[in-house]
Amino acid sequence: MKEEEARIEDGHRLVMYVEKDDASYGPMETGSYMTHNYIDDFFEKLDHVKRESLRRLKAGEISPVAYYMILIEIGEGDLAARVGISRRRLRQHLKPEGFQKITLRELKRYADVFAVPVANMFQVIVPSKGMRVRQEKTADGVVVLTHIEKATE
Amino acid sequence: MSSITFDHKMAAHCESGAITALLNHAGLAVTEPLVFGISGSLFFGYFHTALFPFPTFVLRNKPGRVRAKCMPRLGVKFQSSSFRSPAAATQALDTLLARGTPVGVQVDFFYMDYVPEYARAHFNAHYIVVVGREDDAYVISDSYVPGLVTLPVARLQEARFVKGPLAPKGTLFYPRAIPPDIDLRSAVRKGIKDAAFNMLSIPIPFLGVKGIRHFARKLGDWPTFARDDEHLSHELMMINVILEERGTGGGGFRFLYASFLQQAADILDQPELAELAREMMTNGDRWRDISLFSARIGKNRDMGPNRLRELSAMLLDRAAEEERLFKRLRSAV
Repeated sequence: MKEEEARIEDGHRLVMYVEKDDASYGPMETGSYMTHNYIDDFFEKLDHVKRESLRRLKAGEISPVAYYMILIEIGEGDLAARVGISRRRLRQHLKPEGFQKITLRELKRYADVFAVPVANMFQVIVPSKGMRVRQEKTADGVVVLTHIEKATE
Repeated sequence: MSSITFDHKMAAHCESGAITALLNHAGLAVTEPLVFGISGSLFFGYFHTALFPFPTFVLRNKPGRVRAKCMPRLGVKFQSSSFRSPAAATQALDTLLARGTPVGVQVDFFYMDYVPEYARAHFNAHYIVVVGREDDAYVISDSYVPGLVTLPVARLQEARFVKGPLAPKGTLFYPRAIPPDIDLRSAVRKGIKDAAFNMLSIPIPFLGVKGIRHFARKLGDWPTFARDDEHLSHELMMINVILEERGTGGGGFRFLYASFLQQAADILDQPELAELAREMMTNGDRWRDISLFSARIGKNRDMGPNRLRELSAMLLDRAAEEERLFKRLRSAV
């Protein structure tokens, strides 16, 4: 690829290896082709998967574990290893009835992997327009203070 | 404690970038393509396992191999340590920084808060260089970011001690001694042979050139694995991200490898390798055609069987070309 073909001014920065004017091959910093061309499509799909997963959660088709698993795009084997449980047990937790039997210790580990407070394994906070949610950890690592604030922008 | 003076540069790939930066800092003038090529890291593998939420492919060998293979071939004494205790790992890191040694560490990419949230994912084999500590934060040189960044001490500790596949176990590494005379010719030959072995000789049907063909055959099944059209579109567009933007230098590492072959031609004084470098660059262009085609059909939701067959045919072409290229490379060295 020629240097000029790879040049993108905006988007997040990355390094591409290209053919320079003197026919040598070397690195150049450029912008992301995907961010430049398709970032709107990416966010539209993200909104779609959030809406669709929330619908399934509300309808009782999936558990909160399955809901977050879809959102962060993690495989069953990967998630089970991070939580320290078998895949069989994880599969039980993906169904609402299996989720009823989950332990606090398992919940805490899931929440750590999903990077959400444990409380969010039982709730999805939907702020009104112009508001935002800020969650503050406490020393015990389980209890969380949830602030609903006016969005600054 | 303050930062070490460190020449931060972006690089195509996190592991080869971190190791190149550490070697450069220690006084060894090597390039990222040379490090990547000597380690023989070029690879292809198609995976459909429970570890991943959807079938995927990788373009380089197992994380950690750049370090493990390149250092012995260069004769560099390289220290790698892992830890059971987070406190001991943090202590070891702080001691090295206090001595003025920049330290490579393995982390889960998910916790790199300086990366936009939408771009972060759980991946336990991201490599960064820690170049200083300022109060409650480390100063970090990450090949994927334009400048030095900071990360809270607790956050780095969390990222170094996650569980799961390729768990970092607090792994840190740094060069201890650079030999005065390095046999680059031998190192380059071994690297090329290694990559040729990866692509041609591993007797597993989803690895190497066989893996590219396996991918081409399995692509037609992708619609059955997707939740809906939006999901399939996302996964097809991820082909572009994996080939071009997830630390490959473009064209699925093939552009970077062409740069390595160009340098190898000079080191070994073999004009044939310069010709193969040009062919590898063209091969990279065709991989880029695959990534642009995948992005376009995904964006347009034009993902019917005919389009997937077209994509599959493009992959089969790459398999044939790479089989030819790596056979020539193998016999050239």
